[in-house]
Amino acid sequence: MRNVIEASALKLAYPRHEPVIKSATFEVRTGEFVFVTGASGSGKSTLLKSMYGSMPLSGGELQVGGIDMDSISGSKLYKLRRHIGIIFQDYKLIREWSVEKNVMLPLIIAGFPKDVCRAQAQKLLTHVKLSHKSDKYPPELSGGEQQRVAMARALAHNPFLILADEPTGNLDDYSSQVVWNLLERANEELETTILVVTHHIPEMFSAHYRHLMIENGVVYEIH
Amino acid sequence: MRSIRHHLSLILPLFAILFCIEYLMVFDRITESHEKSLKESYSIILVADRSAKLSDISHRDTLIERVEKIDAENVLRRIKADMNPESAEKIRSIMPLFFSIKLKRYADGERIERLRSELISIPGVRDVHIFEKVHDRLYAMLLFMKISFTVFSVLIGAISLLLLVKQMTIWQFEHRERMQIMSLFGAPVWLRSGVLFRLAVVDALLALLFVVSALLYLVNDPGVVKLLDAVGATPERLFRFDDITVLAGVSFAIAVFSAGWVVLRFKEEQ
Repeated sequence: MRNVIEASALKLAYPRHEPVIKSATFEVRTGEFVFVTGASGSGKSTLLKSMYGSMPLSGGELQVGGIDMDSISGSKLYKLRRHIGIIFQDYKLIREWSVEKNVMLPLIIAGFPKDVCRAQAQKLLTHVKLSHKSDKYPPELSGGEQQRVAMARALAHNPFLILADEPTGNLDDYSSQVVWNLLERANEELETTILVVTHHIPEMFSAHYRHLMIENGVVYEIH
Repeated sequence: MRSIRHHLSLILPLFAILFCIEYLMVFDRITESHEKSLKESYSIILVADRSAKLSDISHRDTLIERVEKIDAENVLRRIKADMNPESAEKIRSIMPLFFSIKLKRYADGERIERLRSELISIPGVRDVHIFEKVHDRLYAMLLFMKISFTVFSVLIGAISLLLLVKQMTIWQFEHRERMQIMSLFGAPVWLRSGVLFRLAVVDALLALLFVVSALLYLVNDPGVVKLLDAVGATPERLFRFDDITVLAGVSFAIAVFSAGWVVLRFKEEQ
C-alpha cells in the first residue's frame, strides 16, 4: 500500500503566533480510515487545512497524493483539490444553489457534461436518501440533511482521499450515526482513504481504523 | 425581488454614468456646431503691400485656419473700361494685395483685437478690416451652460462611481462564500468568478439598453425636437448611432472592471 499522506517533522503556525503543530510525523496509507483527535484548539483543523493547502507549512514536510505541499503552486493545488473530497462541520454548501447542483459541484469543476453530472448527483442523493430533496436549497434542509448533501458532494468525483473536519459536530445522534455509516461504507466499498478530525471517536464505530492524537502540538499514534 | 435589487444596484449607477457621458457628447456637438456657424460670421480682410508673404500671415497666429488671396482682377477689369490702358496699368502696379482670413474657431472681441494687433505688426501689412456680427453674449451663455453641465455630469458620475464602489464591496461579501467553497474544491478562477462576470455583463447590457431607449424616446419626442430646433440643433446632435459604441465600451469596461476587482481581491480564508 502506498502512502496517501506523509508528514515528517511537520510544523504549522499562524502568522505572529506560536506554532499550533510543533511536530507531526505520520503517514496514512491507501484505503485507511484514520481518526485524529485532540482537545479544542489543539490544532486538529489546522492540520487538516494543511492537507488541502489552506494552511502554509512553517517547517518540515508534508506530501498529499505524492505532491509536496510546501512547494505546490496555485494551479497544481487546484488540480490536487479536484481529487480530494472535503467535509466541513458547517457543511459549506452554496446556499443559492439547489441540493442537486451542490452535489454536482466537483463534477462541474472536473468538466463533465451536465447530464453526466446530474446522473451522478442523483445516484449519490439516492445513496444518502435525499433524492426527494434534490430541488430544495440548503437553507430549507435540516443540519443532518445538509451534512448528508455535503457527504454526497465529497463522494461525487470518486476522490482518492476524503478529509472530514468534525463532520458530526453540529448533528444530533441519529444524523451522526447516518454520517458515520456513510463514511464507513465509502471506505469499505470504494476503498477511499478517509481522515476524520473529531473530538471523540464514536462508540458505535465498527470498522477498522487508526487513531492519531494531538497533544501539546505533537501528533502521537495511539493505535 | 432580491434578484431585481441586485441588478438595479449596478444598473442604476451605470445608467447615470452613461447618461452623463451621452449628455457631455451632445453638448460638445451642439457648442461645436454653434462655434462653427459663429466663426463664419467673421469676415477679416487684410490689406498688404506686394512685399507681404502669404506664409507670414498664415503662421502668425494659432487662431488662423487659412488665408486666401482675393483676386483683384475683377475690380480692375471693371474700372479699366473708364480709363486709358496706361492709367490702368499704373493702378495695377500700385494696387495692394487683399487677403481673406478664415478662423479655426469662434473667438471673443478681446481675442480678435489681439489677432488684429498681430496681423498689423507683420511687415508690409497696411490695414486689417474686421466685419463682424457680435455673438459674444449667446456664445458666452452656451459656454456657461456647457461648463455647468460638465460640472453637473462629473458630480453625478462621481456619486455613481461611489455607488459602484459600495456595490463592489457588497459583491465581495455576497460572492465570497461561493468562491471560497468552489476554490476548496479546486475550481479555476474563471469558473468561480463566472457568475459575477455574467451578472456584470448582463447589467452592463441592460444599462446600455435603458440609456439607448431613453435617448431614442427623447429624440422622437416632439417637445424635445422643438427645443432642439430653437437652439438650432437637429435630433442627430442629440443621438447618433455611433454613440452606442462609446456607451457600450464604457458600460462593459466599468462592469468588467468592477467584477474583476472583486475577483482579484478574493483571498482564500485560512
